[in-house]
Amino acid sequence: MSLPVVQKGSSEVKTAITQWFLSRGWKAFKFQRDVWAAIAEGQSGLLHATTGSGKTYAVWLGILMCFMATAPSKRAQSAPKAGAKRKLVGAPLTVLWITPMRALAADTQRALQLPLDVLQEGGAFALWTVGARSGDTSSAERSAQNTRLPTVLVTTPESLSLFLSRADAAVALGSVQAVVVDEWHELMGNKRGVQTQLALARLKTFNPALLVWGMSATLGNLQDAMHTLLGSSDGTLVQGAVAKKLVIDTLLPAVAQRFPWAGHLGLTMLPQVIAEIATSATTLVFTNTRSQSEIWYQAILQARPDWAGLIALHHGSLDRGVREWVEAGLKSGELRSVVCTSSLDLGVDFLPVERVLQIGSPKGVARLLQRAGRSGHAPGRPSRITLVPTHSLEIIEAVAARAAVASGHIEARPSPRQPLDVLVQHLVTVALGGGFVPTELLREVRSTAAYADLSDDSWAWVLAFVHKGGESLGAYPDYQRAAPDEAGVWRVTSALLARRHRMNIGTIVSDASMAVQYLKGAKIGTVEESFAARLKPGDCFSFGGRLLELVRIHDMTAWVRKASGNRAAVPRWNGGRMPLSNTLADAVVEQLAQAEQGRFDSPELQRVQPLLELQQQWSALPTPATLLAEVLTSRDGTHLFLYPFAGRNVHLGLAGLLAWRAAQIAPRTFSIAVNDYGFELLCAEPVDWQNMLAALLNIAQPAMLLDEVLASLNAGELAQRRFREIARVSGLVFQGYPGEKRSNKQLQASSSLFYEVFRKYDPGNQLLQQAQAELLAEELDIARLQQSLARMATQKLVVKQLVRPTPFSFPLMVERLREKLSNESMADRIARMVQQLEHDAGGDGDAAANSQALSGISQALTMGQDTLAAPAKRLRTSRRLSK
Amino acid sequence: MMPMTPFASTALGKPLSITFGGQTVWLLPEHALWWPEGRILFIADLHLGKAATYRALGQPVPSGTTAENLRRLTDLIEHYQPEHLVFLGDFLHARQARTESVLGQVTAWRESHAAMHCTLVRGNHDSRAGDPPHALNIRVVDEPYLLGPFAACHHPQTHTSHAVLAGHLHPAATLQGPARDRLRLPCFVFGNSSAILPAFGEFTGGYTVVPQPGSVLYAVGGQTVWRLP
Repeated sequence: MSLPVVQKGSSEVKTAITQWFLSRGWKAFKFQRDVWAAIAEGQSGLLHATTGSGKTYAVWLGILMCFMATAPSKRAQSAPKAGAKRKLVGAPLTVLWITPMRALAADTQRALQLPLDVLQEGGAFALWTVGARSGDTSSAERSAQNTRLPTVLVTTPESLSLFLSRADAAVALGSVQAVVVDEWHELMGNKRGVQTQLALARLKTFNPALLVWGMSATLGNLQDAMHTLLGSSDGTLVQGAVAKKLVIDTLLPAVAQRFPWAGHLGLTMLPQVIAEIATSATTLVFTNTRSQSEIWYQAILQARPDWAGLIALHHGSLDRGVREWVEAGLKSGELRSVVCTSSLDLGVDFLPVERVLQIGSPKGVARLLQRAGRSGHAPGRPSRITLVPTHSLEIIEAVAARAAVASGHIEARPSPRQPLDVLVQHLVTVALGGGFVPTELLREVRSTAAYADLSDDSWAWVLAFVHKGGESLGAYPDYQRAAPDEAGVWRVTSALLARRHRMNIGTIVSDASMAVQYLKGAKIGTVEESFAARLKPGDCFSFGGRLLELVRIHDMTAWVRKASGNRAAVPRWNGGRMPLSNTLADAVVEQLAQAEQGRFDSPELQRVQPLLELQQQWSALPTPATLLAEVLTSRDGTHLFLYPFAGRNVHLGLAGLLAWRAAQIAPRTFSIAVNDYGFELLCAEPVDWQNMLAALLNIAQPAMLLDEVLASLNAGELAQRRFREIARVSGLVFQGYPGEKRSNKQLQASSSLFYEVFRKYDPGNQLLQQAQAELLAEELDIARLQQSLARMATQKLVVKQLVRPTPFSFPLMVERLREKLSNESMADRIARMVQQLEHDAGGDGDAAANSQALSGISQALTMGQDTLAAPAKRLRTSRRLSK
Repeated sequence: MMPMTPFASTALGKPLSITFGGQTVWLLPEHALWWPEGRILFIADLHLGKAATYRALGQPVPSGTTAENLRRLTDLIEHYQPEHLVFLGDFLHARQARTESVLGQVTAWRESHAAMHCTLVRGNHDSRAGDPPHALNIRVVDEPYLLGPFAACHHPQTHTSHAVLAGHLHPAATLQGPARDRLRLPCFVFGNSSAILPAFGEFTGGYTVVPQPGSVLYAVGGQTVWRLP
C-alpha cells in the first residue's frame, strides 16, 4: 500500500482548509506549514510544541491535505438515483489518533471534527467519520464499531493493543495509513510508550508506508524522543512556535522558619494563597500529592466558605463524573480555582486559566514548564506560575528553577530499554491477533527503539516463557500459554487465557484500591485498601473535599455517608514520589554556593538568609566544591547525614551502598531516610563515621559498583516491590475482570509470592532480572548514582559533629521512608529487637510482671499498626497476603 | 512418657516449650506444633499442589514446591518420630492440585512413613479439593476432632471443653525495632484456650495479625521461635 501524494487537482480543498483557518482568526505559523510540507512529502516526524499553540491542527490539517486526493468527495460518487436514498459506505479506518488520557478522547474527537465539518459542507471527505474508542466507550458504540470502524479513530495505547489482539487485526487495522501520537513526552518515558512502539511496529508490518507523527512538549532530548517513536524509520523534527512569555515567581512567606517541618504541607502559606486566588481570574493550584490536594482544598474552603461552588478539587482518585464536572467548570470559567494534582498536567486547554500556583517543589524544570503552560491561553496573556514553598529550603528551589529556565537547562527524558514484561504481553497479544511466526515477529520487534538490541537469548527466553513458562524442561509441568500450530504459527488456544489476556492488556498498574460510595448510591472515587482497612465503622475521613463517615465495607466498596465534626483522617495514596531532577538540584547547589559567599541577591535568598546562616554556624553549607557530612548521636543511635543533592532515588541507592560497605567492616543494621537533598543512615549502635567515611565513599569500577549496589539491596524489599508491576504486565497476576469484586491486595500478595517462588525454584527467570534492572535503572538511576560518586570524589569532604539537628538534617530525621538493610543474621536482629523492647520495659523482672509491662510497650509501639488517631502522615501500609 | 529432648541438631531449629491446655507443647520453628506426651505432630495449611493449581489456571509457577514441602515434613518426622501426624486442614489446595505428579509424590512420601497414623481435619480448601485418595491411608474427619485435651480444627474457634488448635489464617507478625527497623515473620497465635498455627506450606503467604488482649504471638525466624512481648 503506498501513500497518496497531494495532487494538483486538490488545490481547492487546500484553499478551503486555509480559509477555514483564516476564518477563525488564525494565521498559519511557520511550524505548521513545515509539518504540512513534511506530511505532503510522506515523511514521518515529531512536532515539538507547547499546549495551546495549535499543534493539533498542524498535524491534522496536514493529514487532511494529504488524503484529500484519495478521499472520495460526494461528486466522485455516482449520482444517486432519483428518489432512492442510497446509503453511503464510509471510508475504511485510515487515521489513528493516540492520546495518553482517555478523558481527552472526546475533546480530541470534537477538535478533529471541526475542520472536517467545514470541508464536508464543501463536498470533500464525504465518507469520512470520526469516532473514539477507549475504556470509556459505551458498549453500544463498541459493537457498532466492531461492525464498521470510523475513518478516524481516537484511541489510547491500551485500546490499540486490544485491537491488535483481535483475530482479524491485520484486516481491521491494515487500512490505517497515518498514526498520530499526542503528548508523546508523557508516554515515551514509561512502559505505555513501549507498548505504543510495539503497536506501531505491528501497524508498519501491515502497511510499510505508514505515516507516524508524534507531538511532544518541551524536553531536553527531542531527537531521542523522535527516534523512540519512529524506531528504525527516519523522520523530521519540527520545532514548535516561539515560546510564550513565561513568568516564574515565588510567594514568599513573611518569615522563613528555621525548623518548619512539623506541618510539612505548607499551610502556613494559606492566607497568601487565598489572597492570590482572590485577586486573580481562574487559578489552578497544583499540589504534588493527592493527600496534599485534599488538605489544601479543605483549608481554602474553611477559610473562605463563601467560595463553596466556586472552587473545586481534581485528582486521579476521584470518580470520573466528578472530574468531568470540574473540567467543564474550568472550560466555562465558572470555577474561580481548582486544587489539582498531575491529573490536570495534560489535556485540552482551559482558556480561562490565568495563572498557576505550584504548592511545594516543582521537582523539575520540564514539569514546571508543563504546569506553567496550563495558564495564559487567552491571546496576549503570558503564562504565569507562582511557586508556593512548603518549607524553607523550597524557597531556594524557586529561584534555582528560574535560573535554570533562563539558561535553558531542561531535563532529558529517558525511555525504558527492553522491558521483557511488555514484550511477553505483546507476544500473547499478537498470538491472539492472528498469530505470529517467531523469525518475522523478531524482525518487527527489533525495529522498535526499545528492543533494537534485544539479544537472541532474551528473545528465546520470552518465547519459552509464553510457551511453557520457562526454558528448563519440566520446570512448569502442564503449563502452556501460546504455542506453535502445525504450520509454525504461534497462537493461544485456551479461550480462558484469551479472555483473561484481553481483559488485562495494558501496563498501568493501579494500587490496591477500594471504591468509595454513598449509601444512597453516588460514587465518589477510590481510596487505597490499606487505608480503608484501618477504618472502623463510625470513623470519619475526608475525601473529595467532603467529610465522610464510614458505615461499612462490603463488596470491595467503602459505603459512607456525609458526616460533621472536624477530626478526620486524610487518605494517603501510594503514588510514586518524584525525585528532584539533577538539573534543578544543581541549580539549588549553585544558589547555596552564592549564599556561602555571603551573596543574597534575590528576594528568595534574602528570605532564607537566617536559615542558611544558622546552618553555617552549626555546621556548614553544601556547595559544588564541598561534600557536607553531619554526625549526630541521639537516643535512637548514631545518625549520619550526607548531602549529595542527587534526588531521592539516587540517595536511596547511595545510602544503601554506604550502609552495605560500612556493614562489611562490622555487621550491623542501618535504617535509611532520604529526601531530595541528602540522606540519613541511622544505626542503633555507635559508628565511627568520622574516620570511616572518606574510605567508604571511594568510587568503584562500574562493574563492581553494580555488584555492590545489588549486594546492598539483597536485604531490601525493593526488587520485590518492583516485581509487582512486572508480574502484572507479563500476565502472571491478573487485575481481574471488570466489576469483579476481588481484592487487589490478593493480587499484590500473589506477586510477592511469585517473586519468592521464582527466586527459590526458578532463579534464572528473566523477569527477576528485569525487576533488578528496572530497580537499578529507574528507581535508583545507576547512571546518575555513578556520576554522583564521581562528583563526590572531586569534592572536599567536610565532616561536622553535631550537638543537635541542623536545618538541613532535621527534615531527614522526620522523614518516614525507611529502608531496611541488614547483614546481621536474622536471629541476631530479632534478638536485639526483642531485647530492646525488654529493656525499654524496665529490664529483667519476673516473667509475669515483665510480660504485663511488655504488653504496654507493644501497645505503645502498636506492633506495626498505627491508630487512626495518629496524624495522617503516619499511616502506614499493611499488607494482607492471600491464603 | 518422658518428653523427648531435642538433639543438638543443625538441621532443625530450636523449639520453644510452653504449656497449653494443661499440656507441654513445643512450638517448632519449622511451622509445626509437637505434643510430646501424645507423640502427635500438628501441621496446618500444607496447600499441596498450589503451584500445580496455578499452572492449570494459566499462571506459570515453577515446580518444586511439593517436593520441598514433603522434604521439610520428612525432616520433622525423622527427628521427632511422631506416632500420629494431624493436618489441621487445607491439605490439598484445590481440585486442580490432584495431578499425577503431586499425588505420586505424596504417595511415595506416605509409603516411606507407612506406620505413622495420619489424620486430616477438613478445611475449606479440602471441601473443594476433595478428600485425599484412600491409598494415602489418611483418615479424614470434620472439625472439631478431639484428641486428649485438644480440639483439632481448621478454622480458629473456641471450644467449651477442649483447647483448640487451628490453622486457616496463615498468621504473620510485624516486628518493630529501634532505628525504625521492621520485619514481618510467620507466627503462632496463642490465646487462653485456642491457638493458631502458622501455615506449613511453601508458596502460601501470610496474614498480618495484631496481638489482642489475652493473646500472645510467637514469631518464627532464624530457626528459632520468639515470644513477642
